[in-house]
Amino acid sequence: MPVDSFKFLPGSIAAYYRNLPVQREEPVPFTSLTKPLSRCRFALVTTAGIYHEGKEPPFDAEREKREPMWGDPTFRRIPRDVPQEEIGASHLHTNNRDVLQDVNIALPVHRFAELEAEGVIGSLAATHYSFMGYQPETAEWRDRYGPECAALMKGEGVDCVLLTPS
Amino acid sequence: MSTVLVTMMPFWADKLGAPRTVGVEFPFGHPLGQPGDRETQLAVIRAALSLLEEARGPGEVRELDYVWPQPLDEAKRDWQPLEPSPIIKMLLERRRAAREQQQGGS
Repeated sequence: MPVDSFKFLPGSIAAYYRNLPVQREEPVPFTSLTKPLSRCRFALVTTAGIYHEGKEPPFDAEREKREPMWGDPTFRRIPRDVPQEEIGASHLHTNNRDVLQDVNIALPVHRFAELEAEGVIGSLAATHYSFMGYQPETAEWRDRYGPECAALMKGEGVDCVLLTPS
Repeated sequence: MSTVLVTMMPFWADKLGAPRTVGVEFPFGHPLGQPGDRETQLAVIRAALSLLEEARGPGEVRELDYVWPQPLDEAKRDWQPLEPSPIIKMLLERRRAAREQQQGGS
């Protein structure tokens, strides 16, 4: 069954997105897996706009309210063993109720810890990453925050990354 | 680093080009399924891990056939924020202003 990417969008927004012209970037990057999953270290990245409450600040929703064509391009770090009650969410484009109930719907750190215990994956990195997905302009992601995030992963010896745009 | 994407919009992943893509027909904010549904969360993750292992080149898209359990109307409403996002508010205000101007000028 083919997935309908527009199923849950209001009609007018679906039509807008369907017809948005995009530039495909060639060549599409690809990094081969060079060892079995059971020896790979994983990091997880979401765009759900979640943050570690009490440790790092929320995304800048106030500026977005003043400047609706701006989205906070920074990212937040989420530790692998974060308790559910320490998850905060500052995404203005989704209802955050479900992710505040179960972080694993967007950043499945607890599920990956289980797969680590089972030996399915080699290990789960100590740190995972959250961006806020409303980005009218993506230059800062590409030029600054994406590379910064990748450098932090490399510093923790990450081999594989699960990306879950939300 | 090898990457795999789980997305509600495989249409875009395919158009823009992504190394490896798993598509799910879930509402926004829910790439791994519903809160508390450990079984679906793990099934989606295992599909992503299989693709990570098996893909031999860029651009492969695998679509999963899980059906979202909520009625469509309810699901369409449920993922959206309780109050419209700033950009939607701005667009609605602009539309209203344009309509008022049109009515005033006629």
